[in-house]
Amino acid sequence: MTRSRLAVLVSMIVVVLGVFAGLGALWLSPARAAVGPMPGEALVLPADARFVMGFDVKRFTASPFYARYAAQRGMKPEALRELEEKTGLDPARDIDQIVVAGTGPGSIGVALVTGRFDLYKLGRALETEGKVNGYNHAGASLYAFKDEGPNATAMALLDEGSLLFGQKDRVEAAVASRTRGETPFKTNAALIGLVGKVRPGSTFWMVGDQSLLAGMPTSVPAPGASADGASVSLPSLKSLTVTGDLDPQVSLNVVGVAADDAAARNLADVVRGFVALMSLQAQQKPELRQLASAVTVATEQNRVLVSARLPYELLDALQPKAKPAGEPTRKP
Amino acid sequence: MRDTSRPLPFAKGARAVFELSLEGMVWTRRTLLMGLLVGFPVLAAAGYRVWLAARPAVPLPPAADLYAVAVAIYWIRNVLPLAALFFATALVADEVEGRTLTYLLTRPLTRPSIFAGKFAAYLVTTLSLALPSTVATFFVLLSARGWDAVGPAVGDLFRDLGVIALALVAYGAFFALLGVLLKRPVIPGLLFLYGWELLANLPGYLPRFTLTAWLRSLVHHRPAEEGLAGLFQQVLPAGPGLVVLVTVSALFLAAAAWIFSSREYVLEQ
Repeated sequence: MTRSRLAVLVSMIVVVLGVFAGLGALWLSPARAAVGPMPGEALVLPADARFVMGFDVKRFTASPFYARYAAQRGMKPEALRELEEKTGLDPARDIDQIVVAGTGPGSIGVALVTGRFDLYKLGRALETEGKVNGYNHAGASLYAFKDEGPNATAMALLDEGSLLFGQKDRVEAAVASRTRGETPFKTNAALIGLVGKVRPGSTFWMVGDQSLLAGMPTSVPAPGASADGASVSLPSLKSLTVTGDLDPQVSLNVVGVAADDAAARNLADVVRGFVALMSLQAQQKPELRQLASAVTVATEQNRVLVSARLPYELLDALQPKAKPAGEPTRKP
Repeated sequence: MRDTSRPLPFAKGARAVFELSLEGMVWTRRTLLMGLLVGFPVLAAAGYRVWLAARPAVPLPPAADLYAVAVAIYWIRNVLPLAALFFATALVADEVEGRTLTYLLTRPLTRPSIFAGKFAAYLVTTLSLALPSTVATFFVLLSARGWDAVGPAVGDLFRDLGVIALALVAYGAFFALLGVLLKRPVIPGLLFLYGWELLANLPGYLPRFTLTAWLRSLVHHRPAEEGLAGLFQQVLPAGPGLVVLVTVSALFLAAAAWIFSSREYVLEQ
């Protein structure tokens, strides 16, 4: 074999090994799930959901975001400690993922929580609080909270790895579906299609269809508008997909599908206007200089793609400055 | 016995030229230089890992973002078109300059088979440089903070490999056409790359007249950019993008093969 052929062969071996390693990593990836990033258990969520969102608690608690802002962003570690004491549940330790299916205004929807749960301790903690009625429904322990009303809530302990929380009648329906081996969420073709396009492995993600977005405002105040009330009308969106990560920086990707190409371009121009305004303001503050290149806006046919990459230094710069300890507070 | 009065069949002739050209193409100073240029992200990725291991507290840009920059900006926008320019324009020009074209043309080979063999050798050489570099950079960077990030991004790696191959085909076809059409094709090629292709950063329909806009639209990486590119960035549809790139590549190759077949080469003494 000549040197040339050997060189070509070696490079092809590297590529083939890489492809196999990639396939192996894909197959063994912990982020692999039933549909996109959605675990198989979440397919019992209601079929009439208008949006679905996921939150990877493990990635969140391992992120620099949690380390930096856990104490100051209202995450209330003391409340979490109390929750752990009462139920034995430590969200940071025991919960892996939360998937919420929302059914629109006035409804709290249903959340599926996956992780590792001590069912006995959890059930006993709920009952000793005296705020729940425990009963068995379709083979699962269900705890209905006593504040009965149109939005009465309940929690179902499905197994050591998953529990459901949300509107009582919807939780009961989801438990019954699970017992029957049904997957109602799969019948929601629009949302399933959108979830399938979300890349697994994001810290948080959300998809919403047209019915959810119909309630969005149709206009926003124009950038730099004064009291004259000038506003910019927003083209309606057919669907919205948001994905984000927190490590090693806060990154956010938003994909909005507009009615047509022209509407997508209009919407992209509106977003660009706001980004330009932010950049102008940022020029007055050197610490915010990165803001100008942090957000990119692009269009792809009838889709608007907004991508934001915010380093933690930039987020720190955006925080309101803390007053020096000795400075007296002014009273009006 | 083969009828020696007739040229070899197309496939046999192309294969013979391919083997001959590959020998003369892989171990050259040009390939070494291009190998260093194309493989630079691998070295940068290794440096990134060393730096990360040595100083974990120092904030570094995310590895995924660096990989995105390597694919979308370094390879697809800059280095691969440049590699295609230097390799593909030389397919015939080198033979003319070295006055060895006569030896090739007097063999019992059809001219289209000579061109096809040479183009295949170009493609194998450049793919052998670009694809392993992409794979190595991907794994070195994406596994920087553990293997959890590798699995979800593997789809992008496969896509990137495909787009890189397509970029080498499309630019290679165009520069091969320039190589058979012009006596000195490098300067016009550079003007094309750093003049015409900048139309991809403008708004409206102008980006559709460039190769780079279609290629950039095929990859999923959108690194943050400033200036015109950041302001007017538009992603062209992937389906039509594939059709356009495959069609123009086929047209450029057909035109180049036709010109090479019909042109009379008079070598300077």
